[in-house]
Amino acid sequence: MSEERGERRPRPRGGRRPRRKVCAFCVDKIAYIDYKDVNRLRRFTNERGKILPRRMSGNCAKHQRQLSEAIKRARAIALMPYTAD
Amino acid sequence: MNRYEMIYIIDTGLEETARKELIEKVSALITANGGEIEKVDETWGKRRLAYAIDYKTEGWYVLVNFQASPELPRELERNLQINENILRYLVVKLVEKRSAVKPRPVRPAAPAEEVPAEEAPVAETPVTEAVAEVAEAAADTDAE
Repeated sequence: MSEERGERRPRPRGGRRPRRKVCAFCVDKIAYIDYKDVNRLRRFTNERGKILPRRMSGNCAKHQRQLSEAIKRARAIALMPYTAD
Repeated sequence: MNRYEMIYIIDTGLEETARKELIEKVSALITANGGEIEKVDETWGKRRLAYAIDYKTEGWYVLVNFQASPELPRELERNLQINENILRYLVVKLVEKRSAVKPRPVRPAAPAEEVPAEEAPVAETPVTEAVAEVAEAAADTDAE
């Protein structure tokens, strides 16, 4: 829906606005983010193991909440690191 | 009865027979307390831990799905905590698809459409079009 806004309507003054990112979970139509799905979760952490903010990942609020919960569960059961360096 | 999912990590120092015994014991604990085991998944097997637990870098993962009353997880966790061959455990309640959330209201199709809005199966494409139109309208107002 609104993700097309950025490219269709270029701003007249100032720099270009980056293309609005789309929530990866909405695109894949995922209702429940599984904490066991480590490969998927890992894409939303940086190399230090921190959860990426929404402004980086482009997730919607609903899925970002679920995602953070899932990552924290995965950390608790040693599927994902709390920290890595 | 709620649906739960449990993962626990067994020490890899435990030999196979003792490990099997332990898995049996945990399963028996669930059924003894009025739980109903749906599935015990041992296919995870030995995995590298993301971080060392008690200086151990590997663990044997076991996944159990079960149904039980809400009192059982607490009792289960108490027992898992006592056993020193279990490095970590996690009991999670599985959320059913919430029925309290109302389905999105179906917008009537545009008046120019020949297909009446009452026909649910055919109305699928008009609905998405209507939503797209609303999004466009929102984009217009945003741009002001």
